[in-house]
Amino acid sequence: MLTLAWIILFLPLLSALGIAFAAHKDQQLSAKISIGAIGSGFILSLILFINHLMTGSGSQEGAITWLQAAGLEIGFGVRIDSLSILMLLVVTGVGSLIHIYSQAYMQGDKSYSRYFGSLSLFTFSMLGIVLATDFVQMFIFWELVGVSSYLLIGFWFEKPSAADAAKKAFLSNRMGDFGFILGIIMIWGLAGSLNFTDLKEVFAANPEVLGTLATVAGLLVFCGAVGKSAQFPLHVWLPDAMEGPTPVSALIHAATMVAAGVYMLCRVYFVFSPDALTVISWIGGITALLAALMALQQDDIKRILAYSTLSQLGYMVMAVGVHAPAAAMFHLTTHAFFKALLFLGAGSVIYAVHHKQDIWQMGGLREKMPTTYWTFLLGTLALCGVFPLSGFFSKDAVLASAADTAHGGNGILFGIGVVVAALTTWYMLRLFFITFHGTARTKAAEDAKESPRVMSLPLIILAVASAIAGFLGIEGFASHGLGLEHHGAHAHATLAMAFSFLAVIFGASVAFALYWNAEADPIQRHLGGFSSILRNRFYIDEIYDFLILVTHETLSQIAAWMDRWVLSGLIVRGVHGGADLTGRALRMLQTGNIQTYAFLFVLGIAVIIYFVVGRNVL
Amino acid sequence: MSLLSFIIATPLIAAIGLLFVPRGYSYLYQIIARGAAGITFLLSLGMFLFYPQMASGPGGFKFYQKVAWVESIGINYQVGVDGINVGLILMGAAVALAASFACWGINRRERDFYFLFLVMVGGILGAFASLDVFFFYFFHELALVPTFIMIGVWGRGEDRNYATFKITIYLTIGAMLALVGLVALYVQSGAQTFDMIELTNHVKENPIPVDQQKVIFPLLLFGFGILVSLWPLHTWAPVGYGAAPTPAAMLHAGVLKKFGLYGLIRLAIPMVPEGIRAWLEVFCFLALGNILYCGWVAMRQKDLNFLIGNSSVAHMGMAFIGIASLSLIGITGAVAIMVAHGLLAALSFGLSGYLYHEKGSVEISQLGGLLQKIPFIGVCLVIAMLAGCGVPGFANFAGEILVLFGAWESLPWFVVAGAWGALIIGAVYCLRAIRNILHGALSEENSQFNDASTLTTKFPFLVLVILLVIFGVYPRLLTDRVSQSVEPLINQANDTTAQIVAPSAALLGQNTPTAVRVDF
Repeated sequence: MLTLAWIILFLPLLSALGIAFAAHKDQQLSAKISIGAIGSGFILSLILFINHLMTGSGSQEGAITWLQAAGLEIGFGVRIDSLSILMLLVVTGVGSLIHIYSQAYMQGDKSYSRYFGSLSLFTFSMLGIVLATDFVQMFIFWELVGVSSYLLIGFWFEKPSAADAAKKAFLSNRMGDFGFILGIIMIWGLAGSLNFTDLKEVFAANPEVLGTLATVAGLLVFCGAVGKSAQFPLHVWLPDAMEGPTPVSALIHAATMVAAGVYMLCRVYFVFSPDALTVISWIGGITALLAALMALQQDDIKRILAYSTLSQLGYMVMAVGVHAPAAAMFHLTTHAFFKALLFLGAGSVIYAVHHKQDIWQMGGLREKMPTTYWTFLLGTLALCGVFPLSGFFSKDAVLASAADTAHGGNGILFGIGVVVAALTTWYMLRLFFITFHGTARTKAAEDAKESPRVMSLPLIILAVASAIAGFLGIEGFASHGLGLEHHGAHAHATLAMAFSFLAVIFGASVAFALYWNAEADPIQRHLGGFSSILRNRFYIDEIYDFLILVTHETLSQIAAWMDRWVLSGLIVRGVHGGADLTGRALRMLQTGNIQTYAFLFVLGIAVIIYFVVGRNVL
Repeated sequence: MSLLSFIIATPLIAAIGLLFVPRGYSYLYQIIARGAAGITFLLSLGMFLFYPQMASGPGGFKFYQKVAWVESIGINYQVGVDGINVGLILMGAAVALAASFACWGINRRERDFYFLFLVMVGGILGAFASLDVFFFYFFHELALVPTFIMIGVWGRGEDRNYATFKITIYLTIGAMLALVGLVALYVQSGAQTFDMIELTNHVKENPIPVDQQKVIFPLLLFGFGILVSLWPLHTWAPVGYGAAPTPAAMLHAGVLKKFGLYGLIRLAIPMVPEGIRAWLEVFCFLALGNILYCGWVAMRQKDLNFLIGNSSVAHMGMAFIGIASLSLIGITGAVAIMVAHGLLAALSFGLSGYLYHEKGSVEISQLGGLLQKIPFIGVCLVIAMLAGCGVPGFANFAGEILVLFGAWESLPWFVVAGAWGALIIGAVYCLRAIRNILHGALSEENSQFNDASTLTTKFPFLVLVILLVIFGVYPRLLTDRVSQSVEPLINQANDTTAQIVAPSAALLGQNTPTAVRVDF
């Protein structure tokens, strides 16, 4: 079975290389290679999954040594357990649908082959994270995911905004990775290994192995997730990343890459001390709340979904923090389905109205695009957590864990979770009503037509998955992979269910009252200043720009000034003036006179001989 | 004759042969230079690949050869490779090959140019192969002098004369300081030989007293340090490379500059380890100066060549930190960085040279949107920039990660944090360069750029990129060789310390300091 895992990992790489070096001139062939690679990956993952269920085997791994020196050994391998199999299915399954959808969506783009090549590269990197056996291996693929995301956000690099967004995403991720690698090195220094299996044993044998650094090391590792999963305060890159093509947003910036941070937290859950988990849960809660508030006043259809993604990622991180990684994985999976569905639905809308993204320029699309309408509705309801769709179950699992104060839960976090649920329903129905109901507000919206079959088919499949994923026992499967007791958070399930039901009703009534048949946003009149704060995302981007300007730029300005005037000006010229004689002698060199060089050269040798002979003689 | 001697001799013989070609046959000069570089590269590649199978000679060196010269004072022609220099020689030969295909815009006094070029290549390879301190120094000078002349005669820009002047002063002073340090080593060891193997063995039995180590090491550190552009003595590098003709910049920044680091590893670590420990704080401080300060300076550069120059100075800080860690992991990483950075610096300067040749300027604000127009060069530049900010998959990452792990073992945590912080700064200027040069809209005046379309123009970049990727994907090809040969050096450094420090400590009734960890 390990061979299968190796094949799954390397197929997309072969596809990327094949497209880059052989097939790039043939657009259709490139698309077929790329789709074939990830599609076969999905089939092989299914085989792995079935085999895993049938044999009930625990975890298996196989690895080679990638780098070693003295006490350092970095492995490179594949690890199969329920956690990685679940993630494999998500990445290849949702990925395949998005690849197929892209075939139509990207039609006519002059860099069609480059698009599919980059997608395959991304898939390879993502699968590397999923299958990693070793901390540094995970970090390597972590960085490669960052690079492929950079290439895809900046896919239309001629557009300044896309090029800037790509740069911003890469740099924000880098900030997180700064902590991540320090955490990895620290853990290696104290626990003596990088391999997940070994580390888990070390931690099981001696939970105090990190000593006083336990919380620090855990939080440094968490920094990696803050960058990749776009948690506050590094969340700023994700909304800008919507400059990439819409299927990319669906695949990378909703369903898979941003979930890598959550996956990583679950994979190395055993390294986090209780204090570290508390910090993690608060970061998750704050992100969920801030992002949901920001989403209320956005007008760009993709940006609303981006803020919604941030907020849902906050939920998952919070779930890890309240000692419920299985709930986090559950929500990750269902979210991958319905958020990919929503993004692809948004893509279908954008495609139909000729690449407009402002929801106020749409309207009345219900009759014109029935498939998109119904699937989008289903995705929206699943995201809001309406029974019996998948989001209902996974969100309840998160909320119930937050309410479970005996196991790391916290009343305030639970409250935040409920408020976020209400806000989610509010902004999603706002988006839905304005886009699909009312009357067409522009010519483009009036002429909109349903997208081609190859685009609507993935929508339907994802809609089915979003509807039924709650019944598949994903949480139990994930907690089996985590080796955790499936503890009794379900005692609080009723409480969570009651509150989240009320939250949905509240959010839905507000949205209905404000936006059913609305022609402009009424909230601006009522809230005024607060509305523009939300609209400007609490001015966090501006604050960062300012901070970067006063710190980094100033430092670099000072350094450049020093370099120019102090080091090369004063010192060099000082040396020059001080040793005028040397200067004069050396200035002859400007002529490129070979004799001078020969003279100096002989002088150098003479110095050696003088010392040597001198010592011998004396 | 050993294969290694052939590798050194080929470019030198070709250089002499060039003198017999009549003037005016510029095509022939080019063929001779490329042919010689090609043969050298193939031989070095063979040597690298067959290195593990070969039998070891004296001191564990392979492809060893010794020819007696001035026996009375112990100077012999003596060459050989171990895991440390076998990779460096391969890298040097690869850069030389690439550089011989990157001689755009050399259109006067071509015979002189190729003559100097080949002498420089021979000197570089000789310096890395020599196991005799005298020849080690001699070959370095042999490579250095042509650099000055090439900048002075074929250099570019208005500051050419100032640059030549500056680089000559700095590097001559650096070389002189290093020379004083080497002579001091010779004198103080009392071994009466320039033979590195004997010298090292002699010191193993009779360590140099700690007080003298403390004086010798700074001479080596600053002498070799200037050659490597140790902060704050680095300002010659960006100016010099900015003015240098492309092949000279590739060879110097890529290969010759590593001479100082190589000297520190080969000589300072086994012979004056106590000197390193005594100067460790200064050493780390200066190295952090390299990576942080020069990184910030690089962020402000408006000219691509200066950006690359400063960034290459910053990268040297990583190698310094690896050496300062005095650990097997860290020093293995430092050597891996030397090889990786050699390829990367040559690639970057080659690309910048190509752009300069196309436009006559590499002012960043005047470029933009080039990826649409010149995809091949553009993709290579993206690769160079990503490799420069430590993206996995390229050799640089493997070296950097080893240095970080090694530094964690023996240096304070903020050194590690600072070093990795540099990779963020690196990412800032590298991505800015991509954004401003390659991304965005293509302006009217930049649409006359031509992409590298023939195999000859693509060749230098392909060679370097392929090697960067091979060593990046499977770094053990390099690091297994390196760490095997670094181990005896580290052991000797630790033994020497135990030998010197232990008796006096026992005398005072203190615990023997066995731990290598140093706290500030």
